[in-house]
Amino acid sequence: MTLELELQTLWAALVFYVLAGTVAIFGVVLQRKPERTVLGLLLAGLALQTLSIAFRWERLGHGPYITMYEILLSNIWSLLSVYVLAYWRIPPIRATAAVVMPILFVMMGWLLMTSPNAGHLPATYHTIWLFIHIGFGKVFLGTVLVAVGISGIILLRQSGYGGKRFARMPDDGRLDELSFRFMAIGLIFDTLMLIAGAIWAQDAWGRYWNWDPLETWAFLTWLFVAFSLHARFTYETSPRTGALMVMGVFVLAFLTFFGVPFISPSPHKGAI
Amino acid sequence: MIAYTSARPGLATWALVGPLAAFAVNLGAAVVTNPVFRRQTYLLIFHLALIAIILLLATGRLTYLKGQLELAEGEVFDGQLTQEESGPWHPRKLDSLRFSNEGFSVEYAQGVRRGATRNKVAWTDADGRVHREVIGDQNALILAGYRFYTSFNKGFAPAFVWYPAPGAQPVVGTVHLPAYPLHEYKQSIEWMPPGSKTPLWVMLQFDEVILDPEKPSEFRLPSKHQMVVRAGALRQELKPGDAMRLAEGVLVYDGLRSWMGYTVFYDFTLPWLLAAGVLAVLSLAMHFWVKFSAKPWDKPN
Repeated sequence: MTLELELQTLWAALVFYVLAGTVAIFGVVLQRKPERTVLGLLLAGLALQTLSIAFRWERLGHGPYITMYEILLSNIWSLLSVYVLAYWRIPPIRATAAVVMPILFVMMGWLLMTSPNAGHLPATYHTIWLFIHIGFGKVFLGTVLVAVGISGIILLRQSGYGGKRFARMPDDGRLDELSFRFMAIGLIFDTLMLIAGAIWAQDAWGRYWNWDPLETWAFLTWLFVAFSLHARFTYETSPRTGALMVMGVFVLAFLTFFGVPFISPSPHKGAI
Repeated sequence: MIAYTSARPGLATWALVGPLAAFAVNLGAAVVTNPVFRRQTYLLIFHLALIAIILLLATGRLTYLKGQLELAEGEVFDGQLTQEESGPWHPRKLDSLRFSNEGFSVEYAQGVRRGATRNKVAWTDADGRVHREVIGDQNALILAGYRFYTSFNKGFAPAFVWYPAPGAQPVVGTVHLPAYPLHEYKQSIEWMPPGSKTPLWVMLQFDEVILDPEKPSEFRLPSKHQMVVRAGALRQELKPGDAMRLAEGVLVYDGLRSWMGYTVFYDFTLPWLLAAGVLAVLSLAMHFWVKFSAKPWDKPN
């Protein structure tokens, strides 16, 4: 397997994703429901990206979790996998693709600007706990992304822009309920990610927790997720407040996943 | 965070334990007074597990130990650490532990990027049986709850025999040069033979490339080397077996060894923390499962 073949397959996948996103956005603007087309394009893109990741894994002998390129590559794949599953299983929220895909377009653009060259796999990364830690983290971020898509609809409606275009979707109260169910699933996987990460860190660096920048930000994210759920269930916040809290969690989680590991001097880099 | 990085670990421990204990009390009071916990069993279990985690974290900070040590090849750990910090209630059992470093290998990828570390260690159990194990990277040696990990620190250790005044017992020991390849160009150190008042400066000299940046390699001893020893104005280059006569005795260079750095960590709460964490996640998952399955999301209240 060559880098060229891997990149060609990735480009083909990105073309399908861009088509899917574009069709979804036009569907909302023109008030059509091209749902089957969007699902088909997303699945085709996912299949090609899976192939591209498999080519890279085979060529380098390790998974895509070392360099920024690999972390973006694997996260676009995992975020889309979780989102496509939600898209397929929950038809009333399919218009959220118009909110979710532009976020992923940003990540895809970032991916194309990073170097696809191989990085060095540290000795401490040869453990099953790394896969478990990363896997839980990806499910967490994926569920938050679905919640972001739903919350985006609530905020667009309240801004006056989406009232007519998203009229066929359930009311804000129902969307708020669903969004927070995804956040609840996210909290469980975020907690599992922290536990698995602590087990890995204990044997990789001789301590389970050391307040390094990534650990600190991951804990802040967990606290904010827990706080937003608490506020939602205890104070019965409005759909708008709930949607803003979901957006806040996503921004914090995004910074934790894609910002902190690459500005921190600690050994806890990449591997998300 | 402040508590963890404070220059005064005793104060830092209490600065962390105090708020944790207060938080546990606060959470406990909420559990006792809020009727929702009597209606929702899984939510109650989740919060009790959270309280357990907080109390275990506080206990861990009071009883932990974190330290570093170095052992030359063939040397036995005697309970002494080069650096350590511990909680005020740490039950020190380290002094009775023994294990020996029986040599190690460290692989390097092209560009001198460290790969797997494999360190052979041996220890004797309470029944007198000798155990051998390979530790490194993910695999710790666990003795009486203390977890010994190899660290990235390792280097060369010249061994000397020091013959003090005539009639006195010779002393055998190693001098640990600065870590290699971290201090590749500073393989020298000042050192004092036991009972002597004259500082000696020793430097390892060799010409060959041990870790080639152009290709994969492995940490090893140089095949040819010499040890430069300086005592005041006196300077001598020693090969294994050579002796240097000094005012307070005779120094014989016995040969070159390697040394490995270890970190040691003790926290008896680890398995309990894991159990409480798993219980918290399971109970939280069950709480949401019961809550969400009772009513579909798209049905009005």
